[in-house]
Amino acid sequence: MELELGLAPPGSDRTPELGVHGEKRANLCRKRGVDEMLGKATLPLFIQKDNDEDGNGNGNGRQSKHLQELNFGSRVLVGWPPVKMWRRKSDDCGRRRANCVKVNMEGVAIGRKVDLCLHDSYQGLFLTLSQMFPKKQHDGEESDAAYYKVTYEDEDGDWMLVGDVPWEAFIRSVRRLKILN
Amino acid sequence: MVRGFGWAAAFPDEVWEHVFSFLAADADRNAVALVCRAWHRIERRSRRRVFVGNCYAVAPAAAVRRFPEVRAAAIKGKPHFADFNLVPTDWGGGAEAWVEAMAEGWPHLEELRLKRMVVSDDCLELIARSFKNFGVLSLVSCDGFSTAGLAAIAANCRSSPVHTSVGLEVAILVSVASEGVNELSLVYLLLSSADIPYLRNLRELDLHENEVEDNCLNWISHFPESFTSLVSLNIACLEGDVNTSVLECLISRCPNLKTLRLNHAMPLEKLVSLLQRAPQLVDVGTSKFSADHHPELFSKLESTFAGFKHLKSLSGIWEAGPTYLPAIYSVCESLTSLNLCYATIQSPELLKFVSRCKNLQRLWVMDLIEDNGLIAVAASCKLLQELRVFPSDPYGVAPPISLTEHGLVAISAGCLMLHSVLYFCRQMTNAALLTIANNRPNLTCFRLCIIEPHTPDYISQEPLDAGFSAIVESCKDLRRLSLSGLLTDRVFKSIGASANRLEMLSVAFAGDSDAGLHYILSGCKNLRKLEIRDCPFGDKALLDNASKLETMRSLWMSSCSVTLGACRQLALKMPRLNVEVIDERRGRPLESWPDDFPVEKLYIYRTVAGPRSDTPPCVWTV
Repeated sequence: MELELGLAPPGSDRTPELGVHGEKRANLCRKRGVDEMLGKATLPLFIQKDNDEDGNGNGNGRQSKHLQELNFGSRVLVGWPPVKMWRRKSDDCGRRRANCVKVNMEGVAIGRKVDLCLHDSYQGLFLTLSQMFPKKQHDGEESDAAYYKVTYEDEDGDWMLVGDVPWEAFIRSVRRLKILN
Repeated sequence: MVRGFGWAAAFPDEVWEHVFSFLAADADRNAVALVCRAWHRIERRSRRRVFVGNCYAVAPAAAVRRFPEVRAAAIKGKPHFADFNLVPTDWGGGAEAWVEAMAEGWPHLEELRLKRMVVSDDCLELIARSFKNFGVLSLVSCDGFSTAGLAAIAANCRSSPVHTSVGLEVAILVSVASEGVNELSLVYLLLSSADIPYLRNLRELDLHENEVEDNCLNWISHFPESFTSLVSLNIACLEGDVNTSVLECLISRCPNLKTLRLNHAMPLEKLVSLLQRAPQLVDVGTSKFSADHHPELFSKLESTFAGFKHLKSLSGIWEAGPTYLPAIYSVCESLTSLNLCYATIQSPELLKFVSRCKNLQRLWVMDLIEDNGLIAVAASCKLLQELRVFPSDPYGVAPPISLTEHGLVAISAGCLMLHSVLYFCRQMTNAALLTIANNRPNLTCFRLCIIEPHTPDYISQEPLDAGFSAIVESCKDLRRLSLSGLLTDRVFKSIGASANRLEMLSVAFAGDSDAGLHYILSGCKNLRKLEIRDCPFGDKALLDNASKLETMRSLWMSSCSVTLGACRQLALKMPRLNVEVIDERRGRPLESWPDDFPVEKLYIYRTVAGPRSDTPPCVWTV
């Protein structure tokens, strides 16, 4: 059993990500802070990411424009469509299984885990990573993606820069991630 | 004429017992128990089957005490939305309390069925040890156990009380001093004490869609040689390899085996040699149905399946390709139940197969069947009663499949006996729903899932209120309904008014306001289970209809607009409800949060057992 402690700066809510079955805990990999949540009339249960600049980073052009009108920023909803875990256990699409990989940042002792199945583009992944490992002094830079240098270990054991290969190929071969300072 | 209830004494208890034995429904037996003390006593002592829809609704000890002669028990744990990862894994639903109480109070228990519960290996071992005449173990959507637990079950199936692997071993040291020789003989007496029963008559081991940890590869080999009573074995959910030769021996020595559902891992050749040993099977779940093409394997598969003279139900067929499916055409005519929802075959082959199954009553299939396939099914499978169409690509990565509302309309027109539908698709119209409603007023279960939330009628761009209203107004016997697509409060008005037999309703991304929830809770006379997610339903409807909640088994609401204050009020007002607030983000206890705090997930259920004692950190009983 792997135990990953989630340390986060004060003010954001994180609970430890314990779990034997990676796929079942997948929806805990990203939590919304209290502030984000209060003040909304409805509380959609989803993983938020920006999807305005779209298309370019994605391998596919799947869009759900009308969701955006209702202030749903994401295409990925927890537990929707209501398909049992069991439906997803088929070899031909390993992507549907929760694909949690470890993420370590250079110089940080405690690592995290990120579920790649909840993302469908590099942009989304970088956003999640930037929220997991927030920079202490943010000097107003908008794009976190530019800030981090993220590398990954592929199936051959080689360390590559994240972003070079198409997203689909990336998630098939990635084994773990490392963020360089 | 005898006064008062003295007439009850006019017949001995056994006569009344016999009369009551004709009452199958629990509701009827419950009514009988309320007539007079004598009947209450007789009924409770003669009730043999107990169904506990919510394991926390009653204390196990109380249930066992009330009905001391139970032979068959079925218990359900987690809320239905646990199937879709909406319920924290540590929420509860542990089986220990129940199994311990049953081991204590129902030593003659023969059948145990658990659904959505956390069952540990210790539980399985306790089951294995506690029930002398145990016949049926069914675990559906459970987790928490491993194949080591299954080994314990297997090991305790025997027919003679000589040798037990988990029993007492009493070592008796016997010193024998015989003439001229000083001998110390160590005699091990393996005692099976009278208190260690065994699963002598295990007939059915049904493991359906459980999360099982694989730590004991050879658990099947724990079934002793003397064990021959198996009638039904379903191991489809196991991930690991199963020793085929051991399984073959088991199957060969169980002549009454009727159901055999294997798991994905077994290669096709091994499957074939296994199935050859049991031509009497009525229900087969195959393993992986793909392999490189070998003519020899093909003909072996063909002859094996041709040998099944009694096959009615077929499932598994994991990843079937067009290569081997034709080998089993011979069984199509006799099939009444076909589950192809793991088969990734495309439409032409799928169509060829399914349209041969003229006697099909139940069909579960992927949307790869497409509209054409369903039109063919509508023409060929005239006896169809239940259809489920699952999404091959729920997250929409691949190019869209040509499965639309037309397929379902065709089925509704062609299959006159259709009463149960589960249908995943990406588009729908009010007109289609109206047609379906008019074609099939005999629907009892209608679950439509339009994959994209808030999808309107794609032609008129209207909400789908009119369509679903037509369904509830036309299908007077509708017991289960799942809504999807763009829906306003109007649909709930219709449901509240017309769905008089509705027992279970699932709602997602629908409604405009509290009125929606109010319509449901103030109508739907027979509603038992209501599950809601991502709807703008809030406090007022809940509090205005508080007493309704006690007439229902449970209510689940997540990502709605309920505040903590309302939950507190509700809990105060309704002491026989457990109001559970589930929140996985909080570190601090609930007591410190203010009334206007929005509740992320809410699970309310009626209970006579009071608040439960096993709540995890993320759950608060208000």
